[in-house]
Amino acid sequence: MGNEALKPVEDLTFREAMAELDGIVGVLESNTLELEDSLASYERGVALLRALQGRLATAQQKVDVLMGQLEPEVSDEQRDTTLS
Amino acid sequence: MAYDRSYNGAAGKPRGVFANSGASSGPARNAEEAARACAATFGAHKAAGANAASRSGGAATQESASRALSVSAAMQLAKGALEGVTVRLVGEISELSNKPGYKAVYFTVKDKSASLPCMMWNNRFRAAGVQVAVGQLVELTGRFTLYAAKGRMNFDVFSLAPVGEGQLRLQVANLARKLSAEGLADPARKLPLPAYPLTIGLVTSPRGDAVHDVLRTLRRRFPVARVLFSGVAVEGPQAPAGIVEGMRAVVHAGAEVVLVVRGGGSYEDLMPFNDEFLARMIVKCPVPVVTGIGHEPDTSIADMVADVRASTPTAAAEAVSPARENLDALFGARRGSLDTCIRRAIERSAAQVGHIASRPVFCDPNALLAASAQGVDQYADRLARALPASLDCDRAQVDRLRERLGSALPNALTLDAAAVQRQRERLTRALSQVVDAPTTQTQRARERLMRVMPQACERAQASLDNEQRRLLASGRQLLEPFRRQAGLSAAQLDALSPLAVLGRGYSIARDGDGGVVKSIEQAQAGQKLDVTVSDGVIECSVSGVRRADEDGFTGKES
Repeated sequence: MGNEALKPVEDLTFREAMAELDGIVGVLESNTLELEDSLASYERGVALLRALQGRLATAQQKVDVLMGQLEPEVSDEQRDTTLS
Repeated sequence: MAYDRSYNGAAGKPRGVFANSGASSGPARNAEEAARACAATFGAHKAAGANAASRSGGAATQESASRALSVSAAMQLAKGALEGVTVRLVGEISELSNKPGYKAVYFTVKDKSASLPCMMWNNRFRAAGVQVAVGQLVELTGRFTLYAAKGRMNFDVFSLAPVGEGQLRLQVANLARKLSAEGLADPARKLPLPAYPLTIGLVTSPRGDAVHDVLRTLRRRFPVARVLFSGVAVEGPQAPAGIVEGMRAVVHAGAEVVLVVRGGGSYEDLMPFNDEFLARMIVKCPVPVVTGIGHEPDTSIADMVADVRASTPTAAAEAVSPARENLDALFGARRGSLDTCIRRAIERSAAQVGHIASRPVFCDPNALLAASAQGVDQYADRLARALPASLDCDRAQVDRLRERLGSALPNALTLDAAAVQRQRERLTRALSQVVDAPTTQTQRARERLMRVMPQACERAQASLDNEQRRLLASGRQLLEPFRRQAGLSAAQLDALSPLAVLGRGYSIARDGDGGVVKSIEQAQAGQKLDVTVSDGVIECSVSGVRRADEDGFTGKES
């Protein structure tokens, strides 16, 4: 585990964080680390997990319209007057 | 109104027939029985032709005495007779009434010489998924029925399809076979979906439900993903090119997966998704393409070649996004794994530490140093014993050396004194010899010198005298020319001297200060002047002065 090469958790994309978390769990499960490294990996894993859950909970959907004009969703009232 | 006309037309002719037929049944008969009877009669009517007509005429006369039917019963009879036959027909829509709140869609189909009012229940109409318009040629399947309240005959439409759809379906099927033969629908060719797509391309109409179904689903399940949306036309001949352009735009902008979706519609409406160009572009798309086109039973060419085919827009959105509950479960599992692993790691390390701590070396502090401590003790002991013995030995040796030195030293001194004496005697003898030898040599040299010296002195004196004489002689000769020259020069000098001029009678007048008086300006009457002549000085006083041009050159008075 090259700890010095790790990016800050907030700089990772969701998928990078997922992949790193999977890697950490895998390495920890292999029982090959020194205790210090295990503890460091554990801390990193928990931080990743917290970031992932937080991101999922607070994310606001972003829509970039590349072409055309996205019309707002038709409300139920409008629907009743325009459709049979 | 067309409906009214058809009602009137239908009402006139068959009335008598049904009335007669109903009369034979009697008052106790209910409407259903009447209808069955009529249906039988009607069903036979076509085959029997004129024969049947004459028979019914016979019946009419026979049953003329029986009671007349009610209108309701008659209509019921006719309804029963009409509804037994399912008919497929083609006609052009001429009137259309499709209003919100109606339970059915009403329209009329016609050809050159006839028109037929039709109604289609809303549920059937929606299932057909066809947008109809006046002037459209449609193929209908249904049955004739009567609306008894108005006495109006309708065609009850079961299914409706635009004419020519059969041809379209054939074309699509052929294209599907062709593309399949090329392996474009091969599952091995299809790209797997990314597990957590962070950028999702969405290509569909910017209007309608489909786009919002997708956005809502993604928002609910995986709001982390950014959506790149291309709003394009999904109907009409330009739609395939627009959809391809939209796909290109979202892929270019970085989409990791592309959703191509569209809400339900008629077969014809979905035709853009059966386009060969679109299909090939879906195959070529570098990222996975997920289709969600129409409703469940619709399958298009685009669906066939897509990497994943979902049945609806919502299903397509679900296909590309992880479910929230799955993610939550995954996170829970990860958390559990992390905790378990770290607990095990700590336990394992603790066990190792405990194992090491139980080793004897840590239990008994003496064990580690025992051997060394004993060794130190032994060496101390040996040292203590070795040191005094060694000192005694050394002291004895020093004593012995001192004794030897004491005896050896006087002997050596006497020996040395004798040697020194001998050397001194030898030195004295040698010295006197050396001193005597030069003395005699000097004496002899002095005697020789005494003999030689006087003779040499005399020779030198004679030579010296001779030289002196020669020098004096040459000195006198040297002086003579100079003496002659000096006499000559003196005579010349004498001739030039002012004193010599004085000798010829001239004189020099000087004032009291010794300055020579050259002009009368320098002399005044009464002044003393010294006048030098050849043999002395005449002291004069000036009595007066005269200018030369006044009285000749007579000189001044003295």
